[in-house]
Amino acid sequence: MALFSALVVVAKIALRTPLQLPGHSGIFWMTIIIVGAKVVPKAGAASIIGITSGLLASFLGLGDFGALNTFLSYAMVGVASDLILLLLGGDSENPVVAVIVGIFGHLGKFLTKWLFGIISGAPIGFVALGLLRAIVGYILFGAIGGVLGWVTLKALKRAGFFAYLAEKR
Amino acid sequence: MNQNKRILIAVALLLAIVGIVLGVDTLQRQKAAAGAAADMPPGSIPIFIDGKFVASFVPEDLNQLKNVSFVDAEEGKTQDGWLLRDVLLLYLGEDNLQTKTEIMVSSSSREKTQTLTWAEVEDQQNMVIFDLSGRGTLKLVSTIPGFDIRDAWIQDVDKIEITTP
Repeated sequence: MALFSALVVVAKIALRTPLQLPGHSGIFWMTIIIVGAKVVPKAGAASIIGITSGLLASFLGLGDFGALNTFLSYAMVGVASDLILLLLGGDSENPVVAVIVGIFGHLGKFLTKWLFGIISGAPIGFVALGLLRAIVGYILFGAIGGVLGWVTLKALKRAGFFAYLAEKR
Repeated sequence: MNQNKRILIAVALLLAIVGIVLGVDTLQRQKAAAGAAADMPPGSIPIFIDGKFVASFVPEDLNQLKNVSFVDAEEGKTQDGWLLRDVLLLYLGEDNLQTKTEIMVSSSSREKTQTLTWAEVEDQQNMVIFDLSGRGTLKLVSTIPGFDIRDAWIQDVDKIEITTP
C-alpha cells in the first residue's frame, strides 16, 4: 500500500500530459488506485493508499491550496473509491465498474476542493462555465484512469500475477 | 441486488452529485448577482484606483487578451492564462500606470495580498499572469523570485487595487 501511495505522489510530480484541462492528472491517479485496491486484497486498501499519499503530498508541499486541502483531497480519492467499490461489490475487473470507480474516486478530489472553496468563502468562478468544465474534466479523466486501471489488472491477470499471489498465500 | 442495479444506482448518484454542485453554483451566482452593482457582475474582479472603483475584469473581455504560459519551477506544472499587464492596459490604459505605480492583488477569502510595481508587472519576462484554477477562480502566479512559489501566489483573487505614490 505504501508503494502505491508513493506511486500516486510520484505520478503527480513526474508524469505530465500536455493537456491543459482540469483534472487531467486523474488518468494516472485512478489507474494506480484501481490497481492498488485490487492487488492489496484488504478492505479499505484504496482509502489507506489515498490517506498515505495525502500525507506524503502534504509534507512535500504539493497543491495550491495548502497542506490540509492537499491531504484531504488525496485521501478522498481513496475513500470515495472504496465507498463506490463497496456499493458495486468490489469487482474492479469489470470494465464498467472500473470506469465508475475511476469517476467517483476522482470526483471525490474535486468535491473536496469545491467544498473547501465554499467553506473558505472563495469567490464564485470567474468564468460562468468554469465549474462545469472542471466537473466534466474530472469525470472524463477519472473514467480514462478507470479504463487504464482495468487494462492493467487484465494484463496482470493474464501474466499470472493473481495466481502467483494466491499461491503465495 | 444484481450488478446492473448497483451500476444504475451509482450513475444516479453521480448525476445527483453533479446536479447538487451545479445547483449550488447557480444559487451562489444568483445571490451574488442580486447584491452586485451593474458594473460589477458576479465573478468579475473589481479594479480600484486610489480607492475608487474604475472597472471590472469580466470574462467577456478574455478574447481580447493574449494567452501565455510558463512551467513553474516548484512542481513543473504549466501555468497558463492572461497577463495582468494586458488586463490593466485593457481597462486602464497606459496613462494610469507609471513605473512606480503599485498594483495590489488580493484574495479576501484566503486573506492574501501581493503588491507589485508596474515595472514588474509590465515586464513580460516576469510572467505575472492570472491562471484559471480548477474551480474556476483566478490565481495570480509569476516567475518573479520570491513570488514564484505556491505559498506566495494569490489564489481566489477578488480585488485589484492601484495606487500611485
